Formats: sequence, C-alpha cells, structure tokens
Amino acid sequence: MTRELLRVEQLHAGYGKAEVLAGLSLRAAQGSVVTVIGPNGAGKSTLLNALMGVLPARGRIAYDGRDLADVALEDRVALGMALVPETRALFGSMPVEDNLLLGTWRLRGRRPADEGLARVYGLFPRLKERRAQLAGTLSGGERQMLAIARALIGEPRLLMLDEPSLGLAPLIVKDIFETIGRLRETGVTILMVEQNARAALEVADYGYVLETGEIALEGPAAQLARDPRIVETYLGAGASRSDGRTA
Amino acid sequence: MQPAASSTGAASPRRSGLRTLLFGAFLASALLLPQLPVPDFWITQANYIGLYALVAMGLVLLTGVAGLTSFGQAAFVGIGAYTTAWLSTSVGLSPWLNLPIGLVLTCASALLLGWITLRMSGHYLPLATIAWCLALNYTMANMEWLGKFDGILGVPPIALAGVDFTDGRNIFYLIWGAALAGAIALINLLDSRAGRAIRSINGGVVMAEAMGISTFRYKVQVFVIAALLAAVSGWLFAHFQRTINPSPFGIKWGIEYLIMAVIGGVGTVWGAFAGAAVVKLIEDQLQVLLPQLTGTTGNFEIIVFGIALVLVLKYAPQGLWPFVSKWVPAPQRRRDWDDAPALPERARPAAGEPLLDVDTVRKQFGGLVAVNDVSFAIRAGEIVGLIGPNGAGKSTTFNLVTGVLTKSAGTVRFRGEDITALRSRQIARRGISRTFQHVRMMPGMTVLENVALGGYQRSRSGAIRAMLRLDRAEERQLFREAERQLARIGMAGQMHELAGNLALGRQRLMEIARALCTDPVLLLLDEPAAGLRHLEKQALADVLRQLKSEGMSLLLVEHDMDFVMNLTDRIVVMEFGTKLMEGTPAEVQASPAVRAAYLGTEH
Repeated sequence: MTRELLRVEQLHAGYGKAEVLAGLSLRAAQGSVVTVIGPNGAGKSTLLNALMGVLPARGRIAYDGRDLADVALEDRVALGMALVPETRALFGSMPVEDNLLLGTWRLRGRRPADEGLARVYGLFPRLKERRAQLAGTLSGGERQMLAIARALIGEPRLLMLDEPSLGLAPLIVKDIFETIGRLRETGVTILMVEQNARAALEVADYGYVLETGEIALEGPAAQLARDPRIVETYLGAGASRSDGRTA
Repeated sequence: MQPAASSTGAASPRRSGLRTLLFGAFLASALLLPQLPVPDFWITQANYIGLYALVAMGLVLLTGVAGLTSFGQAAFVGIGAYTTAWLSTSVGLSPWLNLPIGLVLTCASALLLGWITLRMSGHYLPLATIAWCLALNYTMANMEWLGKFDGILGVPPIALAGVDFTDGRNIFYLIWGAALAGAIALINLLDSRAGRAIRSINGGVVMAEAMGISTFRYKVQVFVIAALLAAVSGWLFAHFQRTINPSPFGIKWGIEYLIMAVIGGVGTVWGAFAGAAVVKLIEDQLQVLLPQLTGTTGNFEIIVFGIALVLVLKYAPQGLWPFVSKWVPAPQRRRDWDDAPALPERARPAAGEPLLDVDTVRKQFGGLVAVNDVSFAIRAGEIVGLIGPNGAGKSTTFNLVTGVLTKSAGTVRFRGEDITALRSRQIARRGISRTFQHVRMMPGMTVLENVALGGYQRSRSGAIRAMLRLDRAEERQLFREAERQLARIGMAGQMHELAGNLALGRQRLMEIARALCTDPVLLLLDEPAAGLRHLEKQALADVLRQLKSEGMSLLLVEHDMDFVMNLTDRIVVMEFGTKLMEGTPAEVQASPAVRAAYLGTEH
C-alpha cells in the first residue's frame, strides 16, 4: 500500500455554536486524488478550512505522520499544504504573473522564481498568454486556473481545492477537471471538495460523500460513481426510487 | 438568565428595586450637594461635568447606539452658546427666549448637514462633521459682530423667580436638571418602538428596511437629537461662564466629547456621565502634573487621552460604565401585556388567489448575469421551494423580490400591484416579509425586542412620544404580538434572553417570528432549517404547515432536500441564474436535468 499523506480522525468543526462537521474521518494516500462530494451546506468548505487551520477544529489531523493540532496556518503552508479557496481569492488589480509570484513565498528564494513560472506556464499555457493582464479581467475558468497555479508554484505536497467547478459553465468545468487530472503526474496529492459529483468522481481515485457533516458513503471513485444512493444525498430520500437509472 | 424564568421573572422586582434605589441615592446626592459645605471648586467641577455629559449623551445615542460618528458636536454647543450670548447682549432678549431660538437654529443646521451627509456611508459623516466644526469655528472667530477671537463678554445670567444664577450652587440645579432630564428622555427613547428602530440602524440597514423602517429618517432624527442636547449644553454654558469665545467650540473639543463618550461607555446613557466625570477630573490633574514632569507647558493631556482612548478601545470597547453596571444587572422586562388589545391585521387573500407574479426578472452585476429572465408565480396558501446548486442565484432572486436589490429588467407584481420599482421597506409594508441567509439581528437586544422590531410598521409612536412615555399602551400591544409569534414557534420561554446568546438554529427561528410579527401575507424564508436538529426541523415543518393552513403563502430556499420535498407544493429549480424547471417534488426528483445540475454530467 502506498504511503498515507493525510489522515483525519473524528474531526469536529463549525462556526461559533453551530457545529458543521460532527466527527468526520478520512484519509488520502500520497500522490492520489481524493474527492469529497456532497450537496450545498454539507460542510465541504468547512472541512478544507479546518484542515488548513483557517477554522479551529477538534479531533486528530495527521499530515505526513505529524499531528497538526498545534501547527499554525502559516506553518501548515510551510509544511507543504495549500488551499485554493472557493472564492479563488485573487488580487484582481495585480497582473497574473504577480499573483503567481506571491505563491512562491513559501520557497523564499530557495529556488529561482523563473523556474516556477516556467513550470506552471507549462501546465497552464493560457496563463502565459495572459501573464501581463490584470487578474480581475480574466474569465471565470482562467481565474480558477490562476488560483490553482498560484498554489502549485509553491510546490505543495497536498493541494486542497474548494469547489473548482463553482460558477463555471459545463464546458469550462470539463476543462478544469482535465487539468486537475493532469496534475496527478506532478506527484502532488489532491484533496478536492466538489458539488459536481460526476465530474469529480471521474477524475478521482477515491471518494467520500459528505451529508450534513458526516461521511454518508465512501469508496473507490469508479464504484461510488455507480452508487444510486448518491442521488438521495443530493435530492432527498425517494429520489433514487423515482426512476431506475443510476447516478 | 435562565430560559426557565420565562414569563413572570420572579427575580426581577428585587433587582429593579436595587436600580431604583441607586438612582434615588444618586438623585438625592445631586440635590443635596450644593447645600453641603463642599468647596466651590467641586461645585464648579460638577457643573462642568453636567454640561459635558449633556453633549456626551447625544454621542451615546448617535455613535454608540446608531453607529454614526460625529466630531462636530462642539459646533452645535457653539450655536447654542453664541445664539444666546449675542441675542442677550446685543439685542437684549431674555435667555429663556434665546433657548428655543438656539434650538431652532441648531435643528435647522443639523437637518441641513444631516440631509447632505447621512445618505453617505462609511467615513463621510465623521469627515463632514470635522469640516463643519472647523468651518463654524472659523466663522465665529472671524465675525466682527461676534467679537472675533475675544468672543462675547458680559453675558447676563439666567433669571428665574428671583434666584441668583450667578452662583454656581444655584445654576447647578439647572445644569443637572437638564442633564438628568436628557438622560431619562434618552433612556425612555431607547426602550421604545423608535428606539428599537434606531438601534437596528447599527445592525446594517438591510434588515431594518426589510422591517419597514426608514433608516435615513432615524439617522436624521438621532443626529438632530444629539445636536439639540449639545445646544442646550451651550446655552447653559454661556450663562454659566458669562463670557464666551470660539475656543471651546473647536475641533479639539469635538474630539474630546467623543473621547468622553467612548471612555465612559458609548453603549449606555450613564456612560456619558462617567466619561464626562473621568475626563474632566483627570484633565485637571494632568494640567497640573504634566508640566511639572516635562518641565514645559503645553496641551500634553491630549496625548494621555489619546493613549487612554486606544487602551479603552482595545481592552474595554464598551467603556468604563459596564464595570459599574455589571453589579446591578438590568431587570427583566415586566410582562404586563396580557390584556393589551391585538394589533390591527391586514385582510388575507382567499386561498388560490394569485399573489406573487415574478415575470422575466433579470439582474446583472456588470457582465455577470446573476438572475437571467426568471419567471414564476405563487398563489395564496401555497408553499413553494426555490432550490439549485451553489451560486444558482436563489438568494439574489429573493433580494430582487423583496426589493433589497434593484432589478435590471422584468416586473414583479404582488396582489395585482406592480412592485418592481418599490424599495424594500415599501414592499415590506405591502405584506411580504423575509428572513436572511445569514441571520441579521440585534445581538444586544432581547429576543422579544428583536421580534417586536417586526411590528414596527403596525404601530405609530415616534421619538417624542417615547421620550415622554406616552407610548406605553402601544408598546404593550407590540410585546403581546411579539410574544404571541414567539409562542407560535415554541420560543416564548426564551423571550428575555439576549438574541446573541441563542444557538444559530434558534436565531433563525427568531427571524421567522420577527417576520411573522410584520403580519405578512407572503413569507420568504432563506434556509430556515439550517443549523436545526432533526426534531427541531420537524417542529419547524409543522409550524410552516400550520401557517399554510391559516392562509399564509411561503417561498423558501433550503438545502435540506428531505425538508423541501416533504413540505412544498411546488419547486422552482435554478441553475446558473436561469430557471431550470418547475414542478412537484416528485417531478423534480425524477428530472434528469435537475440531477445533472446537482451532480454534474459525465464528460
């Protein structure tokens, strides 16, 4: 079995008095693509924010065998964790390339920035075309690519993507997921939360289905994609009965 | 406070007795002070404290309660002082005639200034008040007829019933009488319909407007009230000092009044007294001490106050007064509204009557089409669900129907009337009420008071009636209605709790009670079941069915599909800002298009 990069046990997290995650456990093997799918409000973003240290959390998070309980957000970044937030969080009034250079902060001159730029431009040729353009003028799909590229340029070991398909038209979604599939070759481990179950399961190795703060289903992605119960978590009990087709 | 101490509040009489006792002791010592063999110095200090407190309590209302910052209060003090000084020396009018003239002038200038600046948000108001204070100060200092920098000398004392008001011990009663009357009026105001409306300004105007409140009107009102209190202080000041010049009305004092309010406690009226006392007493000590320490003279005290202000804002943002008042907890509101008459209710439409008609409504933010020509209709007595993946435009649609956002195109009709161009509060008055995706409430008000905010548009009493306590009968009606709506959702037991102490799910329920308190015909609920436990969700569903059976119509956005599917008559599904389909829950669950929208399509 391949080495485990991330192991989460009994994770509780939320906002003030409202607990969103109620004892969630999951794991991700080194170099794999793991997806957590689920409908609106299931707790997907909360999960990633808790793992990254943006939100306080109870439970055990082990990253590369190390307990992250007392590791601050910026130290988690230093350890090689990167989060691409749902909002993309780009600096709209800065050029594409400056946004990318911000992502090299973790390496702090240990490696020439040009090397990193060349690498991500190789992965995202579109960004190279637009390197001097202000990030705020990019299209939705290009913004998502820039956000991912900015995380990748810091050479993370664990890349966490929060709904990369959000707000994007179906054709662009296809594009983004193809890119995510290609990232597998770089060796980075990907933990991606998504609402778009079909597209996410197509690219992932393993999947978890999150429903109101708890893991409702899990399994190898190909197997999970055929599970009719997924429809119920999205559209309510009875949805899978109302027609015989699988999700 | 325990939720169990629900209706009568057994502990409250003793506590409120303590409060009354302390206030009585304070009043008695104020009455006696000038009669005691206290050195004149301290009487003068007390007079200044009373004068400053009058100005600072206006800032408590303006800044602490309504969240509007003004550095210009010293200018309004100046208008009150200069008006009476000039009229009584140059024209020879009685100070008693000058007071109303000064108040009218102040009111007019505050209205003009407020009308220009209060529509702006953010820091425009503080900046405008600084400019106003500087401009008025230079005007005073450069007018020949106002004595330029020397000011006006020989202002006559106030005359009343032969009492000698040149004596500090006598004018003490006027100053402190005015200050205490002002304080009581403000306390009365804050505990009233108008007061709740004023307090809601600080919670963001969207919620207040959705309850039918014209926030601009109340911003102007509090600005004028604060200015009038300052003008009264100025009037007293002129006749107390008997000579005035421009310097006490400059920007330095504008800032110092704000420091008083903040240090004392900008959230409570008594904080103004505490702040005025602390600042005045410390300032006197510092003016003696600091030159000795530094070896030079200068206004070093302002540095100390600057540091003190930073420390207070960092470590005690509510000021010093809460450290005093925590020993005397506020009494629970006495429940005296059982026999109050019910508030008027609007006529309900017959079941099945067309209610809401949303016709090709569109919203563009720049190039982004958030809602793309969406149409749907709701008939009276229906529960309609609005669902869709994240970012589909559901909340935007809510905001378009309720007038929080303006529509780029399309029309919305409600009971046959075109409400497309109406503002949020006008729509609320016609019987559409709503809750918010992110709870919008006043955490520092009790649950009951928050819900009573919903009854705003069903009642009439304004600020003046509230100050004079002429609004009590209507208040009892409002609280009766608020309690009734809370009981409906099973929260009557928590009505005296602070809303901010509730769990999130309960806060959402409280929003529903507040919306019900507006006497709506159509209720729009944005994720009402979020944060509720399973049993609470069932209870909520029962309440909503009950409302439906009483003829209420509902439109709800909700992510809990079991909740939506079991409750709604019809569902509108949105994706990418467009309407994907409309149908019964079973039709929606079976629709391949809806599945693709939620789960995505295979590539």
